Amino acid sequence: MDFLRQVAQQRAVTRRDFLRSVAMTGAASQLLGFSPLHAAAMPQGQKTVVVTFGGGARDEETFAPEGQENIPHLLNELIPQATFFTQVVNRGILGHYVATASLATGVYERFDNFADVAPKNPTVFEYFRKGLNRPANDAWVIAPSNGFNRIGQSDGSLIVPGMGAQVILPKHLLASALNKTSTASAAMEFLLQDNYEDLLFTPPAVQNELGTAKLTEMLHLSVDDFAHHAQTLSSADELSVYVMRQLMKQFAPSLLWITLHDMDVAHTGAYSLYLEGIRRTDRLCADIWQMIETDPEYKGRTTMLILPDFGRDSDFSASGNGFQHHRTGDPLSRTTWMMALGPHIRQNLTVDRPLDSLDLVPTLGAMMNFATPSAKGKPIAEVLG
Amino acid sequence: MTPGNLQAESFAAYPPQARALAIEHLNALKRMPLILLAALLRQVIQYDWSFPAEREQLVRQLNLLNQLDAASFDSLMSPFAAIPLTSELSKFDWVNHPQPFSEKLTAYLWEQHLSDNYHSVAQAYQQYLEKALPQSQPVTPRWTIVVIGRGSQQTQYSLFRHLMPHGMLFTKLDPSGALETLSAAVTSRAQQHPLEYGHWYIDGGEPYSVAAEDPRLTTMSYARLVPAAKREFALLKEFTSHGANGSVGVEAVGSYIVGLSPEDLTLKGTAADAPLRHFEVNLITQGAGCQIFSTTFVQWAARECLHRAQPLTLFARFSTRQGNAPMEQLLARDPLQQPQDAEGSLIDADMGAYYTWINQSRLPGADDSRFLVWFEDHNLACAIAPALSKGKTYTGAITMRQVLEHMA
Repeated sequence: MDFLRQVAQQRAVTRRDFLRSVAMTGAASQLLGFSPLHAAAMPQGQKTVVVTFGGGARDEETFAPEGQENIPHLLNELIPQATFFTQVVNRGILGHYVATASLATGVYERFDNFADVAPKNPTVFEYFRKGLNRPANDAWVIAPSNGFNRIGQSDGSLIVPGMGAQVILPKHLLASALNKTSTASAAMEFLLQDNYEDLLFTPPAVQNELGTAKLTEMLHLSVDDFAHHAQTLSSADELSVYVMRQLMKQFAPSLLWITLHDMDVAHTGAYSLYLEGIRRTDRLCADIWQMIETDPEYKGRTTMLILPDFGRDSDFSASGNGFQHHRTGDPLSRTTWMMALGPHIRQNLTVDRPLDSLDLVPTLGAMMNFATPSAKGKPIAEVLG
Repeated sequence: MTPGNLQAESFAAYPPQARALAIEHLNALKRMPLILLAALLRQVIQYDWSFPAEREQLVRQLNLLNQLDAASFDSLMSPFAAIPLTSELSKFDWVNHPQPFSEKLTAYLWEQHLSDNYHSVAQAYQQYLEKALPQSQPVTPRWTIVVIGRGSQQTQYSLFRHLMPHGMLFTKLDPSGALETLSAAVTSRAQQHPLEYGHWYIDGGEPYSVAAEDPRLTTMSYARLVPAAKREFALLKEFTSHGANGSVGVEAVGSYIVGLSPEDLTLKGTAADAPLRHFEVNLITQGAGCQIFSTTFVQWAARECLHRAQPLTLFARFSTRQGNAPMEQLLARDPLQQPQDAEGSLIDADMGAYYTWINQSRLPGADDSRFLVWFEDHNLACAIAPALSKGKTYTGAITMRQVLEHMA
């Protein structure tokens, strides 16, 4: 792993150099400065939103100089308010479900990425609900539907069952709604896009305990309204963010996890579609932060963490095909970043020391005051203030 | 079955030339760890349909292993032997099904966090081979010509951004007659340096007739392969419908696809061009996205062509691809009859050209190779050649013929 560490450090330097070059242009004039802590003490009733910048973006199309045009919102709106971690290394399996599940458990899970299985290790949602004695509606996951339906709760072998997050698969929700409404469904089928990782593979049928009727009722949505609004959206991730907004309104959950996935269209080999996905994700991240900042239940008490699940293959890895896949396990595909925003997070701070993807769960535990006994990794001091 | 138990009869189901090759090198095969042996057998079983360059590489590798003394052989094999395998993998019929074995092995390595270990061991082995068996230089410098943007208009996207640092940009190229000039240059090279599967033309739409009709060129086009891709999807749909709850595991799907033959996909040809038919099957069945997007097809086909056939000349011409849609629609509809995404196609092709240059750069003689990319019907081109300055822009008027002369 020495080579991986070296590459991660080089990548961190690249990201930091890039941030510095942007600062010098004046686009974000205080980018590398230090600002005082806005709030040294944790506010009461704090909330946490985790956004995975999925599924798989490379530095070449994001933080490297040639990629900056694709992430104007991260760069100009969010990073100036954030602590930015330039090297987060994922040492696990590079499949989206298993990697995201590893982020959620704090342990590198080893299950088949395409199988309909729950993580072996307890999830952060179970730690949160059990540790703080929180009700079911206080922890939610919004996820793409390719297998992510089991991500809210572990298999129960290491923690008492029934303490997981409720999982919403917006595409399944819409698919069900379309069957019950007269709204022209053909125009919205693109919102149901699913599973780019293996184009010829049909994912297992989703077993989701939350039925459409119950969900729409819980979200105070009429099926027609939901289907009608979906017509105004341009991607599956936009649908996820729309559902997130409804969740925030209805339940204001304290722990909310959203997995974005549009950019994984890269598996089709269409570079332009991959870039479109990154630009959309960039915009949606800013939209989510805006939602947080304008919602009285969230404003001033919410920490948002944005991080990719992993990258994609290097152009120069002979066994891969560049941006198209994430199969080689090369160091660049394992090296990502993270940004943290919130009232107790230092603004304009760049941290170059290496983090591990597994550090997320213990950090959430330390931040929200619950134990994460099975999770590996270490709490990230810079997030804890 | 263990490698040590291999006998001549073990290869009875192999095609004739593959069987003979395996029997000829049986002693070496019997001494190899299963993890490497299966990887080699994947190549051996395809031997009858391999390109000359692939055959040469495989035979040289097997000859080298045959000739190694016991100590050197064991030393070379020991890193592979140190990777543990399950009894389930060992019991698999890896002799007759080395490709499905590899898929199971890959899943196992991921699950056990052994992938990095395997990659490093495989890389070390590859480096040993490259040192022990240096590849011969091509008889003449390799040329790759990529034409992008057919059907696309001028764009705000900065074309050739990745290639410019390595070559010279021409901004006032006269596009009139340029395609004819390129086609003539390609066929001329095929005439001067006749070589089986040595000169290729790959097109993302209907092929340009002058080049396509030259029998000295190996020609492939997306338009001609779309029916085979649609046939693949139909077969796959039928196969997956037989699974429980309408779902079949990804490994089963992979194994089924790998087993498809040219006949299954209604690809017809003569015995003499069987390697091309099998190559086309491999493209369609093993590539992702190349069935639905013509831009992906050209990029992937060029990559595989360079990697496997190591041609002296490659002429790759991108066309527009269909617009994006839900995967179910993309798999079901005719990509040639849909609205085209011209702007997106140009960006895809620009990246595809860059990847084609990278793949050419991996071949022997890379330092002396020539590479040209041209925005079809426009004034912009980028040329990479030993005689041309890197990172410079030529703003004077110039014809395609003159660009080729500068590159020669």
